[in-house]
Amino acid sequence: MLTWATFWSQVFNGLARGALLALISSGLTVIYGTLGVLNLAHGAMFMIGGYAGYVAFTRTGSFIVALIAGSGVVLAVGLVMERLVIRRFYGRPHEDQILVTFGLGICFVEIIRFFFGSLSRSMPPPPRLAGITSLGFMVYPTYRIAVVGIVAISLLAIYLVLYRTRLGMIVRAGIEDSGMVACLGIDVHRVFMIVFGIGSMAAGFAGIVNLPVAPITPDMGDSILVQAFVVIVIGGVGSYTGAVLGGLIAGEILSISSMIDPAYSYVALFAVMTVVLMLRPRGLLGAEWRT
Amino acid sequence: MADVTVAPIAPAHRHLLAELATAVALIAAPPLLSRLGFAPDTMSRILVLGLFGIGFDLLFGYTGLLSFGQAAFFGTGGFTAAYLLTRTGMSSVMLSLALGVLAAALCGIGVGLIALRRTGIYFAMITVAIAQVFFFLENSPLADFTGGENGLAGVPAPTFSLGFATFPIHSGWSMYGFIAACYFVGLLVARRIVQSPIGCILAAIRDNPLRAAAVGHDVHGYKLLIFVIAAAYSGLAGGLLGVLQGYMPPDAFSFDTSGQLVMQTVIGGAGTLYGPLVGAAVWLYLRDFLQESAGLGAQWKLVLGVIFVLLVCFLRRGIIGGLKDLIILIGRKPTGAAERSDAGGARSGEGGGVAAAVRRPDPPSMPPSRVPCGAPGPILAASALTKRYGGLVANNNIHFAVEPGELRGVIGPNGAGKSTFFKMLTCEVAPTSGSISFQGKEITGMQVTDVCQLGLTKSYQVSQLFTRLTVRENLTIAALASLRGKLRIDLLKSPARVRSLHSRVDATLELIDLTGRCDVPAAALAYGEKRRLEIGLALATAPTLLLLDEPLSGMSPMERIETVKLLRSISRGRTLIIIDHDMDSLFELTERITVLERGCVLAEGTPQEIKNNPAVQAAYLGPESVA
Amino acid sequence: MSYRKQHRSRSARGVSRREVLQMGAGWAVGGTLLPYALATPTRAAEHPELGTYPAGSVGPSVFVGISCPRTGPYAAVGEDEIKGYQLAIEHLNTGDPLLRKISPRTTRGVLGKEVKYGIADSEANPNTAVQAQSRFISEKKAVMMTGCASSAVAVALNKLAQREKVIYLTCLAASNDVTGKDCTRYGFREGIYAYPTAQALAPVLVSNIGRGKKIAFLTPDYTYGHTVRQSMEEALKAQGGWSVATNQVSPLGTTEFSSYLLNVANSGADVVININFGRDAVLSIKQSAQFGIGDRMALAIPIATPFLAQEVGADLMKGAYGGMGYWWTLEETYPLARMLNEAFRKKYNYNPEYGAHSAYLQVAMWADAVERAGSFYPPDVIKAYEAGAKLQSPVGEVYFRGADHQLVRPVIIIKGKKPSAMRSSDDYYEVVKVVDAAPLMQKPDAFGCQLGSYD
Repeated sequence: MLTWATFWSQVFNGLARGALLALISSGLTVIYGTLGVLNLAHGAMFMIGGYAGYVAFTRTGSFIVALIAGSGVVLAVGLVMERLVIRRFYGRPHEDQILVTFGLGICFVEIIRFFFGSLSRSMPPPPRLAGITSLGFMVYPTYRIAVVGIVAISLLAIYLVLYRTRLGMIVRAGIEDSGMVACLGIDVHRVFMIVFGIGSMAAGFAGIVNLPVAPITPDMGDSILVQAFVVIVIGGVGSYTGAVLGGLIAGEILSISSMIDPAYSYVALFAVMTVVLMLRPRGLLGAEWRT
Repeated sequence: MADVTVAPIAPAHRHLLAELATAVALIAAPPLLSRLGFAPDTMSRILVLGLFGIGFDLLFGYTGLLSFGQAAFFGTGGFTAAYLLTRTGMSSVMLSLALGVLAAALCGIGVGLIALRRTGIYFAMITVAIAQVFFFLENSPLADFTGGENGLAGVPAPTFSLGFATFPIHSGWSMYGFIAACYFVGLLVARRIVQSPIGCILAAIRDNPLRAAAVGHDVHGYKLLIFVIAAAYSGLAGGLLGVLQGYMPPDAFSFDTSGQLVMQTVIGGAGTLYGPLVGAAVWLYLRDFLQESAGLGAQWKLVLGVIFVLLVCFLRRGIIGGLKDLIILIGRKPTGAAERSDAGGARSGEGGGVAAAVRRPDPPSMPPSRVPCGAPGPILAASALTKRYGGLVANNNIHFAVEPGELRGVIGPNGAGKSTFFKMLTCEVAPTSGSISFQGKEITGMQVTDVCQLGLTKSYQVSQLFTRLTVRENLTIAALASLRGKLRIDLLKSPARVRSLHSRVDATLELIDLTGRCDVPAAALAYGEKRRLEIGLALATAPTLLLLDEPLSGMSPMERIETVKLLRSISRGRTLIIIDHDMDSLFELTERITVLERGCVLAEGTPQEIKNNPAVQAAYLGPESVA
Repeated sequence: MSYRKQHRSRSARGVSRREVLQMGAGWAVGGTLLPYALATPTRAAEHPELGTYPAGSVGPSVFVGISCPRTGPYAAVGEDEIKGYQLAIEHLNTGDPLLRKISPRTTRGVLGKEVKYGIADSEANPNTAVQAQSRFISEKKAVMMTGCASSAVAVALNKLAQREKVIYLTCLAASNDVTGKDCTRYGFREGIYAYPTAQALAPVLVSNIGRGKKIAFLTPDYTYGHTVRQSMEEALKAQGGWSVATNQVSPLGTTEFSSYLLNVANSGADVVININFGRDAVLSIKQSAQFGIGDRMALAIPIATPFLAQEVGADLMKGAYGGMGYWWTLEETYPLARMLNEAFRKKYNYNPEYGAHSAYLQVAMWADAVERAGSFYPPDVIKAYEAGAKLQSPVGEVYFRGADHQLVRPVIIIKGKKPSAMRSSDDYYEVVKVVDAAPLMQKPDAFGCQLGSYD
């Protein structure tokens, strides 16, 4: 049933899915690129953001407040997590970092389950963005189109911070050589904490934005995490633009392959990741010296 | 990271104390533990998980490869065995298990070839992704073979017929006996692997893979080998799970299975082989205890997660590691005196070393293992060697030749490109253009491992030691490479059987004068001792051509004298090229000197000629000095 | 006087020698027999050892093993089931009138023994469930095991039951296979399942939506999904001439249905039949609404998950048709349903979903079977089940079919109410029809059921 209408609607859908993945993955890649820590609790950040937004929404009924409050909560969680736990692990081998973030991820999921139970929670989209829009060849939920816009704005904001501010410059220098940055007298630890917070906030923000699309449950973060990994492998670890590009590509792969055979869409994604690893190990836009 | 003690190479016999203790424990467990409320089913399960974990521990604890995808092999082995037993009418349980192990190992080869192209975090991520692919495949397309989400039921238990009697295995204590026997065999094999030469090499790979490759080991080959072994263990454990339950569950492939394996191993203690067993026992016991007795219901996972995080933070070596530390702590007081005498010995070793060096006429020589071929011409020749890093030209069109037996020095101001030049000679870095030949053979574009096996090796400017291993173990690893070749699969061999390993290591120890410190971990050595060990590592590979990158850097005057003596003694029978900034020592030691400046060869000649060369003086001291 | 004195003095002296001898003999015989009398249980064990018999029933209590998901995607359903079990066992031990209506021979406990139980978290994971129940069997000598929220777990525990010779009662497991090719002598299913539900739902759909309509299936990619789709397709084709416009198969655990829903939206179908269960159902229905599918296409959910309407919202469920095992508004017509709801509301403050109902009913029917059998010896209990006695339940009269151990019981067809028509906060559905399933069920061997041996 491969009509043009189906094809273009899936391409557009891939864009929408990819936008969200790009946002989540950009947080993960910035954290890894700067701190060298692969945060296996990143999916849990996404999930906490969703719940925080949900709570804020049920108290105030305002979408904007939910966005702000939810992001704020995840930012705080990220800052605390870095300060209390991650900081002790910079000198330790990579494997230890993976293990501790893995464990923390599980703890977060179970804490949320303890407070909220296992039934899913959701939030309606703001009334002006609800409903469907006709795009000529297809109809598409208005809110999802809005998500693309919201994500684009936040990606742009992160880009501006990274490339146009002093903090961003320090971050990018830190990605290259954190030891040297410390030698220059810059309080690297404070920068690291802020980077971890912002990276986690990106995932949490994505979680709230996604809430009207898909209700949230405590274990939603797991599949998001795996997809984010694949994205940053494809795009190039440590590269912000790589994460964005990788996210869009991954979204398209998932959507288009579901036209052919839905059961294989995830397999297709992993296959593409494997091919990238074999042919261009540093990713599409990754830097050469990254191993 | 878990501190792995490589088994001492010295003893002629291998002590089997641990194996014996394990056998006793396995036999004594049923009567003892059943009083504590452990059912036979639980204990069998713990053993299956322990076996699963042995493979993972070899991979992660001993080699440092953190894989989150072992469930793929667990499921492959389990479902292959279960499928053969339930759908194809095969009746021999042992044969099916064996075929399951084979299937898992084959998958391990395939997956390993993809995943091991990368290291560290990338490797972990790839294993996650590949395991997910296996999970999807098992659920949907291969559902006819795997039963989809229902799994395969009706897996029979084995029956052993010995001609005069048959012993059917039922669930309960007879099943425990069967699984305990399998576990014991698996443990025996793993212990042998760990104590074999390959075990030493794995420890080296975990510690410093770069140096392990540079002394001549095929690091990738060994990694693939241990990956396949871990996959085989996983496959066996999977098959045993199916037999234990009479049912092969689909979630054998799930990420949860891999994740729990990692957590259990870390809780028990990685790098101990017994850690996963302890971890599995703790996990299963706590899971049931927390749910029932503590009345926690659904929060049991939270408690286990918190325990795991706390262990990773504070007791990284797990329960067994913590117990080991405790025992060492308790045992430390009586040996305090021994330590003090040790330290005294070390100090006297330093000073005594100089005195001894003065007293010793000449340290015994250590001839290279490879007789230099009689081919005429330079032993090493580089022509038009160039290296560009983007816009920066590090080495520019260098022509360089060294005669066999020569003692060549390379000097030059900072930034001249000396280290880059050495890196190209040992093939750590590929030249942008130009060629290198060693003993008449073209070596441009080869791997550093192969070049080292040919007889060309380097000692590093910044010491690249195996910091967690002792001095003796460091040298053993280097010696093993040249005595065994790049890759040899002698998993079950005892290191004592490697010919001339002992003598090579002892000779090297004596040469670098660290015989008294041979059981000290490399990280605990003094700086000068570390530099000596660095040279020793290169020396133990018995090279024909030895490059030394700033061997004298950071040394005190006394140490310099000693090291120069050492260098002179090892130069007998081999060729040496030395980079250094200590020109007095170099002028005294070497026969010819090459001067590099800004990537080009500035001058070449005898020390006297170089000293008086105005261009060289200008390069170091500035043009005004000459004028 | 002297005679009376003689008599008095004899009684004062105590017993005579003969009496001493008689008493002594009596003591001796009694003393020898006493240990035997104390050791033998109240009912002599006439049967050989089998499974946990007689070890599990010698004492004053018996143990029941319950494994339900408490974490993972089906945790909410699992908690509901657990509450049903706890209520049922409490009623059983106290001889509650409701339970005695279902199991008339019950007085207190089962055969006079108190019922104790243990609850384990199965994580909706067959392996974990098997582990937990194996432990209950070997450590606590469970005489019965129960609980599940997925057919995969049910199948695994069915096989375990047959191997360990301990009766297993399913809770929520709707795949045809559970009493089809994966049936076992020791497993019993109470709940509705794919085939008769499809046969019951199809005429309702045809009569309410029309003939010759086009279907878009949303099928989860596992046995349950495929069998339900097959049953629905056959029934609708045969009874209403419906055809399939598209069949979108999604992997279990999909969170992002947009690709499938776009295909559905573009397929030109009139009716969406959503076979997803659990969280997949919640997500797919919510996302369907985002794509405007609900406005253009009717919705049918062959077996609606517990708590579905609560999670999805009444707005999205209005006008949707579905099949269920129990809905609380049945209390208007079924007195036992009223009793169950009242007891449940009193203890837990909400109306039971059909998982809780299934749990309660299974325990009650088990008590009845054991009482009828007169012992815990598994083959006797099984034969009591297979005799097919008719029992009263909150959904009317039910009985077990001996040939495949499936309970013959009605299918409850529900339709989602408009939010404005809801009389209370959980009045999500109206019961459209209570369909007698007896004529609709397939022949027992149609799905390849071969019950195993008794021992």
